[in-house]
Amino acid sequence: MRYSKILITVSRIILPFLIMFGLYIIVNGDSSVGGGFQGGVIMSTSYLLYYFITGNHPFSLTKMLKIDKFLFLALPLVICASFVTRAELFTNVFPLDVSYEVRRLYLLVLNLLIGAKVAVGFVSLFYIFIEEGNN
Amino acid sequence: MKKWKGFIVAGVIIILLGQVMFHIYKDPLDYNPESKDYYIEYGLEETSSKNLVTAIYLDYRLFDSFFEASLLLIAVAGIAFMGVKDEDLL
Repeated sequence: MRYSKILITVSRIILPFLIMFGLYIIVNGDSSVGGGFQGGVIMSTSYLLYYFITGNHPFSLTKMLKIDKFLFLALPLVICASFVTRAELFTNVFPLDVSYEVRRLYLLVLNLLIGAKVAVGFVSLFYIFIEEGNN
Repeated sequence: MKKWKGFIVAGVIIILLGQVMFHIYKDPLDYNPESKDYYIEYGLEETSSKNLVTAIYLDYRLFDSFFEASLLLIAVAGIAFMGVKDEDLL
């Protein structure tokens, strides 16, 4: 399907900034507003802009669902790792006496994981809906 | 007898709902500041997150975030199953 030139041009300008904004929100989730869920959704909307520009899908749905499943496996592993280090479930991996910068890493990793999972999930939803609309 | 059964069930439901409404009505309308005070006092040192929302959803209520993420996977898998109709997909 061909979209109007205005939409394509505006999408080309916005696309890199949108990806950067999504990454910024995910990475700064523990010190300012935002987090994995919000950043992931912003990242996934950039997929729509990509579709407006090129008119085709960069990934296959099977691959995306596979990535989604692997991320879903990785999430409980990271979450339950604190049971090994602190003998507590569902909390930070590093003990309380470790410095702030190191403990912040755990939040960063979790935010990135959740962001990636939400982004992949929403991209596969967009994929399915676009394909349904085309057929 | 069947007719009366419905009336009895309706009566029991009305009495139970009345009890709930009565307790809600008697409950004074003000905040419970205990959790708020706890999060503000210990949030930063326990979770090392400057943002209290992140402190709650990535530490105190981490299981909630995990099941929320799993819900998304189930929703996507369900829509893919219904929408795409591809046996090899899942």
